[in-house]
Amino acid sequence: MRRVAVVGAGMTKFIHRALETPKELSWLAAKAALDSAEMKLDQVDCVVEGTAPDAFDGVHMNGEYLSDGCGAWKKPYLRCYVGGGTGVYALAQGWFHIASGLFDTALVVCEEKMSTCLPHPQAAFLTIFDNITEQPLKPNLLWIFALEMNRYMSVHGYSVEDIAKVSVKNKRNALGHPSAQLGAELTVKDVLASEIMAWPVHRLMVSPTSDGAAAVLLASEEVAKRVTNKPVWVQGVGWCLDSAYWTNRDLYYPDYVEKAAWMAYRMAGIREPRKEINLAEPYDPFAYKELHHLEGLQLAPKGQAPRLLADGVFDRDGDLPTCPSGGLLGVGNPIAAAGMMKLCELFWQLRGEAGPRQVPGRPRRGVAQAWGDLMQVGTVVVMGVN
Amino acid sequence: MKTPKNVETHVWRGGIPLESRYTAGLGGQIFFQALKERGELVGTRCAACKQVYVPARAFCERCFAELTEEVKVSPEGTLVSFTFSAYDRDANRLAEPVALALVKLDGATTTMLHRLLRVTSPEQVRIGARVKVVLKPKAKRTGSILDIEGFQLA
Ligand SMILES: [Zn+2]
Repeated sequence: MRRVAVVGAGMTKFIHRALETPKELSWLAAKAALDSAEMKLDQVDCVVEGTAPDAFDGVHMNGEYLSDGCGAWKKPYLRCYVGGGTGVYALAQGWFHIASGLFDTALVVCEEKMSTCLPHPQAAFLTIFDNITEQPLKPNLLWIFALEMNRYMSVHGYSVEDIAKVSVKNKRNALGHPSAQLGAELTVKDVLASEIMAWPVHRLMVSPTSDGAAAVLLASEEVAKRVTNKPVWVQGVGWCLDSAYWTNRDLYYPDYVEKAAWMAYRMAGIREPRKEINLAEPYDPFAYKELHHLEGLQLAPKGQAPRLLADGVFDRDGDLPTCPSGGLLGVGNPIAAAGMMKLCELFWQLRGEAGPRQVPGRPRRGVAQAWGDLMQVGTVVVMGVN
Repeated sequence: MKTPKNVETHVWRGGIPLESRYTAGLGGQIFFQALKERGELVGTRCAACKQVYVPARAFCERCFAELTEEVKVSPEGTLVSFTFSAYDRDANRLAEPVALALVKLDGATTTMLHRLLRVTSPEQVRIGARVKVVLKPKAKRTGSILDIEGFQLA
């Protein structure tokens, strides 16, 4: 397989309700990624698009609808979709195109415009639950997250306060992100004082619904070395799916993330993730999920992530900065675009271009991860400077 | 093109009108028949994988075997997790939070989602508690998951 590099990245602001159409959001992000690499659309060999449920944008066959905004006019074009895992998986899909030798450049664009969906984007999820055994109970997504968070806290003996620290960290980190929707200086007390949406999930532990897009430009080694002196290499990709029955696994630990992570780590030649990875962008649509995923990513021993968080290990200037972007909790959560935002963050951090968000110590390797479908898909990408 | 500030966004409304008719399937048929007619909770066993799937399934997701061995499991079990949800599916706040339970019935290897009855606050509940199923009377059962009212603390 050929080596693949990220040579450009760009994103729109993540906001609650965008004026731009989904096509226009895609175009803004894709154009920004191309511009950052000083490349033109005619240098793009193929296009990969990632967007989560059609219902958000309110367009069936949303991939086709978005294609011109993604720069796919008269090009090989493919949409990928694994729910919330899409944003990180999309890069893997772009990677296939180049690693296989079929193409030299691939533009990977992820978009979501959740504000289209009325009365609330939640409605897009109604039919992901089992239509016979669960839908009659009128479940919403919060149920799953609340049950999982409760399980995680109960198995490891943590309190809501321990989890709330993730919201404080990520929303503070987001203050340095020009695209962020919800950067804020908060205390644990503020988080606990926010409304209980589904016990033990408090409002400030939940990422917002958002509109936005993010994109990266991938290139083969030969092209990458010609167009930039700072390529960021895709060192490993991994993905894994657990049982399609979310009630059929112990929710306290994400096995599927562990399996996806090891697939990517093996490809990257990583044996000891905690020693060999300098920063991480785990998927954090809910505060506990960052901790849950850090354990799945083998970046904290099982049940130890909240303790490491309290010790400051995951702070921007800590031993292993996590979500230096501000994450979904701080930057926002336009589903597929949120995962791609994490990959953009790795790109900027590894090039030393993250501005006020830059983690110290010249990081050499980072991992980003997303999660989705009905809570059972893990998608992982490892990127590094060599 | 710059995003204009302070302008009225032109919007209109539309939708993707769809309705669906779902079948319970080969496995679901077994489960719902037993629930409606006999008030029993029936699963299927995969002896090779040591799994008892409740509700019954037609095949084992682990080894792909057809599951033909039906197993009646206990109406009692253990609370694996719970929540009190304050919002409905359209993100409207409910007058009273609804309590939900994830329960592993004795004899099953899977857990089941349903309402948790007769509790009003998280302080009254703990993970690991014993619970039992509450069924509707036979005359009111229609062969739906709602033939089960929910679980209550045993
Ligand atoms: Zn089996």
